[in-house]
Order: sequence, then structure tokens, then C-alpha cells
Amino acid sequence: MRLIRHRSPPMKALLAASLALATSGVFAQTATEAELARRLDQLAAELANVKAQLTQLQQKQAQPAAAAPAAPSSTPVAAATPPVAAAPPAPPAYSGSLLGPGTVLTSYGELNYNRPTRANQNATADVRRFVLGYQHRFDEKTKVVTELEIEHAVSSADDPGEVEVEQAYVERQVTPVWALRAGLFLMPVGLLNENHEPTAFYGVERNFVETAIIPSTWREGGVQVIGNFDNGLMVQGGITTGFDLNKWDATSTEGRESPLASIHQELALARAHDLAVFGALNWRGVPGLLLGGSLFTGQATQAQTSEKSRVTLWDLHARWTPGRWDFSTVYSRGTISNTAALNAALVGNPTLIPASFDGFYVQGAYKLWSHEDYALSPFVRWEQFNTAKSFADLGPGLTPDAARAERVVTVGANFQVSQGIVLKADYQRFRENADLNRFNLGLGWSF
Amino acid sequence: MLFRKSWWKWGAGIAAAIALLAGCGGGGGDSAASANVPVAVPLSAQAALGEKIFNDVSLSASGRQACASCHSPDSAHSPANALAVQLGGALLDQQGRRQAPSVNYLSFNTAFFFDADDTPTGGFFWDGRAASLSEQAGEPFVNPFEMANTSVADVIDKLSRASYVAEFKTVFGADILSRPDDAMARVKLALAQYQKEDTEFRGFSSKYDEFLRGNLTLTDQEMRGLALFNNPTKGNCIGCHPSGKSADGAFPLFTDFTYDNLGVPRNPAIARNDDPSYYDLGLCERAELASRTDLCGAFKVPSLRNVAKRHVFFHNGRFTSLKDAITFYVQRDTNPEKWYPLNADGSVRKFDDLPVQYHANVNTVEVPYNRLLGDAPALSDAEVDDVIAFLQTLSDGYSH
Repeated sequence: MRLIRHRSPPMKALLAASLALATSGVFAQTATEAELARRLDQLAAELANVKAQLTQLQQKQAQPAAAAPAAPSSTPVAAATPPVAAAPPAPPAYSGSLLGPGTVLTSYGELNYNRPTRANQNATADVRRFVLGYQHRFDEKTKVVTELEIEHAVSSADDPGEVEVEQAYVERQVTPVWALRAGLFLMPVGLLNENHEPTAFYGVERNFVETAIIPSTWREGGVQVIGNFDNGLMVQGGITTGFDLNKWDATSTEGRESPLASIHQELALARAHDLAVFGALNWRGVPGLLLGGSLFTGQATQAQTSEKSRVTLWDLHARWTPGRWDFSTVYSRGTISNTAALNAALVGNPTLIPASFDGFYVQGAYKLWSHEDYALSPFVRWEQFNTAKSFADLGPGLTPDAARAERVVTVGANFQVSQGIVLKADYQRFRENADLNRFNLGLGWSF
Repeated sequence: MLFRKSWWKWGAGIAAAIALLAGCGGGGGDSAASANVPVAVPLSAQAALGEKIFNDVSLSASGRQACASCHSPDSAHSPANALAVQLGGALLDQQGRRQAPSVNYLSFNTAFFFDADDTPTGGFFWDGRAASLSEQAGEPFVNPFEMANTSVADVIDKLSRASYVAEFKTVFGADILSRPDDAMARVKLALAQYQKEDTEFRGFSSKYDEFLRGNLTLTDQEMRGLALFNNPTKGNCIGCHPSGKSADGAFPLFTDFTYDNLGVPRNPAIARNDDPSYYDLGLCERAELASRTDLCGAFKVPSLRNVAKRHVFFHNGRFTSLKDAITFYVQRDTNPEKWYPLNADGSVRKFDDLPVQYHANVNTVEVPYNRLLGDAPALSDAEVDDVIAFLQTLSDGYSH
């Protein structure tokens, strides 16, 4: 989050909106103008508070180290005496929890319960994700952001869990508009990938378009340029590692569940002969409206075979939050080139490499009831996706049939408690694979 | 004006950098085209000795049998004749117990072990009893049905009169022959090194290998055969004989080095089978596996590379054509009368090469041998021909 510069009044509203969108969870974005003004005042008070704390700390450091040894930085919140006496008790200036003057601990967790309605012997409960991360700010322009994730609670050779580094990058604000980011970072694709905390989306499970088509949580290693303009436009672009088609397992169903997730490398001894480029544009020029899109493309055979193949994924997304409503939509399409040559040696296997796959959803939510820091928001989501929309021709009798698109309707509600805790319940109905119809419950938090 | 002029410089510079670096994706493709072609290097001293020993017929009781006699280089290091089991002994008139396998592509095999799912894996010989190539190499020398030397000392005695004995002493020490057990260990080592180093034992030079390298296309029939081979509902051959490259790019060996019990019919061509109480029980005949009666009748899954160069198939050489072998797979249960003898009352004596108490060990759950009497076979006659056409692409030494 950049430091706020003093701006002229007409810019205040725009800035408040963009800041609110950038830093808060999903529910704070349904503000009216009055609520905007109130939040702006709150932010101004927080900023004053932070400035006062900073001054205090700098004074402490400037003083010669006297008899007392250098004490670990205690919570400055308690010690500070902000000059603005009327300020309400300030929540931490960063999302997360201060560990030190420049270090913030972040965390989110998801616990899910799934009960297939036609096969309730397969009901499961799972700590789907437990994530710990830190952000350390070296100075007002430079920070490092990391995130460590554990899936399914217990990770060992005999247990289903996995431990992974999801983010590990450094960022430098080179100019007020441009920042440079390098390391392992989330790809700016769709609505969910960069904002995937359980408090940031409706429904217990992440939607299929942004898991089966866009392989959330999708991260690559590389460099990225980020530009934030005053008119609400955000530009991102860069060079990263890409996918590895040699990982495609034609004998398993992984590739049918999510083509890109089955060949992603996650910067784990990733083959890096073929790099990829990406770009993303997001516009938040009007309060409550986000329009955006992205494009990613890169070779993916990594010089392990004489064949060349390019993986391309693009998306268009929009989110509109008028009043108590929250509408969003995403369309994404991926293509893999030269799959006829790649599939030639795999003929007859159950899961060949598709030439294209895509997905689309629309979602609407309404903040039905709120009181103090409780809020109930029912929602409905309609999505359609096809992970094997077309196959390149291999000849008669050898070319697999394109899959039928799956259509899923999800109806449920998010119940927010306090700023960062959410309880969820929903029911999902599948058109093609009705055995997957399920009732879900979820608990999530994020700070 | 919101945009400062220097923005354009920044943008142009970054765009140029991206374009420049993105172009660096494509170089160095030649290595992929020649992937997995073993590079022939001169044999080490040990391997060169191993080659001489491998071909030395004087190291046998008959004076006419070397490793190469049964593992002929002209026939993918498997027998060049169509005998069910090879003849050995001092007079070359003793039938071996089991068919002589190809020793190609065995440098990729491991010692015997049970994997995490309790699947028996690895090991050399049809029952995996030898833990390494060198251990396997030593047994035929003293097997009375094979090279039939009376003892290790007997072998070393013959070695001392071989044409290459001076070379042997140079490499392993001048006094090595005075210690027969040590000398035998070095004979086995030399044979193993020869098989590991000589690219003839792992050529990867078949038409299918060239296809995997992207240098040619298969014919329509061969592609149909490959599709049937891979299809888990048709041939499902890849259940034991993997045909695809692994994620790290290694070319397929067409065996997963595990074991299977196919219930192959008894072979009357083997004289021992005249005795109705004699059975070759495979894995469970090993002393340490005697209690694992669930493994009785299981034999090693051989590699299908060069299968079209072989003349007999299965551990007892029961079938002499690929067509019969593959048709047996798909019609074993739908038409058992074609494969097994009939009892006096006209019923089929199925799985006649296994004692009754082990009939339950036979694999009847995996495609293609999960059919029942009267079902349609998993592959039709024409489809079997397609699979054979594909299998013929697995023979090393292909040239356009």
C-alpha cells in the first residue's frame, strides 16, 4: 500500500474507492457515498496515528543506546499517543498483524465440509488451507512478501497434505506510478487468483472457472512491472516461468479435471528453457466497478522433445458493487498449440491433451442483513466450463470426442463475523455429473 | 495532464526488454530431436573382457555353449531358435526349466522388492531371484541344464585356458586365477559391465523410438495398434507394459518390472511336464517367498521391446507366434477350449499349469482378461493384427 499524498477534494472519492477496493475484503466495497466519507475519515485518522508512531520510533532510535539494552520493538500501538485525540481505536495500518516496525504477519485459513447428496458416504471435512505469510517493509518503497501454505492439514509421505511456498517476491516502488516485482508471485488473472482468501469470495469452494480453467492459486516466478495510474487504471506485465507439457499424464484424470493445473510447475525445480510473457489491465475508474482482462502466453515443451507447443490463456472479468449488490463475471479461454503431434504417441489413453478449454460464470450476491460487524450475504452463481472443449484431429477412430461442458449452479450465503471471519454454506448442482451434487459448509478467516 | 512524458520512455524501454527476453525461448532444439539415443562409447577394460566372456563357448561343459548361444545378439539377445526351452548340459541334450529371456534393457532393472502397495517388483530371472545383472550372470555357468560346469573352480579352470586370459590377469591382477571365488566374482562383474555399457543392450533404435523423437509418423495400422495397446478398455497392455515417455523424458521400456499370473497353459513340449505332479510355481518357489502362496504362478513381466524378434513367448515357451500369444490374452476366458486341454467329461481343464489351490491367483480382474465365458473378446481378430503391427515397430535397428 502506497503512502497517501495530499490530493484535491474531487480526487478524494476516487482514491478512497480504490484504496477501499485494494485493502479491504469483499463486504467493505458495498459503501454508499456517506459510508465512503466515513471510511475516508477513519483512514485519515489511522494515517495520523501511524505517522505519530513512526515519529516516536525514529526518536527512540535516534537516542543513544543508554543503560537499557536494545529492546525488541514492542507493540507501538499501545505506546503511541496520537495527536488526534478524537480518533477511534485504530485497527492495524496494514492488513495483518505487526510483528515489528516493518514486519507484518498475514494468515488465512479455510476449513471445509462437503457432503455429496447422492453419495453421502463420501462426506469429507478438511482443513483445506492453512496459510501463513509475512510482509516485511525495508523502507517506504521496498518490501518483501511471502506466503506458505499447508493443504489438507497433515503433510507426509502417507498423508494427503502438501506444503508449498505460494508467494515469495520483493517489490520496489520505483516511481509513484510504477513498481517492480521479482520472485514468485501470483498471476494477475481473473478475479480470484490474486484475491483468493476465503473472505474474498462467495461460496465454500472456489469456483470452477477459476480453478479448472484458470489454475488458481496460479503463481509463477519472474519479474513484473506494475503501474497504478490516477485514473484508476492498473497495468501489469512481465516475464515468468511457464508450464511443462511433459508432465501431462495421459493415463490419469488430472488433465481432464484441470489441464493447466496438471502441468503447472510452481517454481519447484521448474524447467525454465521456455519462458512466458503476460499482461493484465484492470480499470477501477468508477467507484464500485472493476473491468479487466489478461493474457498469458508461452512455449511449454521446454526443449524436451522436438515438438514445440504454446500455451495461451486469456480472461475478461468484471465486478460491479452498486449499493448492497455484488455482481461479478469472468470468461477465460485457454489453448494449446500443436497438440496433434503431442498426442500422437498417447493415442488410446483416457486423457489426451486438449486443444482448447474455456469457462464462464456470472454471480450475484446481496447483503441482505447487517448489524454491527455481522453481515449476511446470500448469493447465486451460474457457471459453465469445459476442460476439453476441442481436440486436434488425429485421424479417424483416434481423435477423442470433445467433452460436454459442465454446468454448475451454486446457491448459498456468506455470513461475515467481524472484519476477517466468514461462515459459509451452499449447495452445488452439477448438470453432467450429478453424482457430484453436494452441500457444503465452510469456515474461513483472513488477516 | 496526468501522464508525465517520461512514462513513455519507461513504457517503451520495458516493452523492448520484454520483447527481447521473450524471444529467448526457442534456441537449442537439436538436443530434443536426438533425445535418448544412446551414444556408443568405447567399452571399458572390464566391459571388453565381459564381451569376450559372453561369447566364449569354451566356458561350458559341452564346450559349445556361451551366454551368446541362448542370448543371441542377432535376436535381441534372446534365443534364435523356436525351442520352448533351450538345451544345455554336457551333451546339450538337457531341457532348461524356463525359456531364456532377452537380456536387453535390463540395466534399468533393480533388485527385487515389494513396493508400497505390496506389489513385487524388480529382480532378475523369471522369478526375480537374482538381485543384480552380475548375480544373474553367474548362475548359468553352474546350472546343470545350462552351461553345466561342476563348480566355480571348474569355470575358472576353463578360463585359464581362454585366449584372453592374459588380458583378464592384466585387468584383475596376475594372481587372480589362484583365487577361484574372487575370479568368478570378476567374471560376473565383467559380464554385467558389458551389458551395461554396450549400447546394443539398450539401443532405443526402433521405429517407435524414432516416432517418439518426432522423426517419422507411424502407418495407420500401427497407430490403430498403438491406440488399442494404450486403451484401458481394449488392450490395456500399458497396465504392465508402459508405452509413454515419463515426465522426465525417459523413453518407455515396455515393462514395469512387476509380476503377473496369466494362467498360461501347460506346455507338453517340456519333458518335465509329463509328470502331472510337477509344477513351475514361479515367485513362490523362492525360499524366502515360500509363505507367499498368493504369488504362486506369477512370473516377471518382460519388456516388449524387440518382441517381434522373439520366436517363443511366456515363461514356458507355450506359444510360438505373437498372434497366438495376444489372442490368448483376449480369448483365454471367452474361449478357454482353444487353449486348455479337455477333461474326459468334456469340461475345460483351465489353468492346467497350476495346482487347483492356486487357480485363484490367476489375474482375472484386469482388462483384457476380465471377460467371462461367452463374452466378446476385448480385441477382435483384426484388432489383434493391428496390435501386432504396432509391436513390430518396437524392434531395434530400424532404418528408413
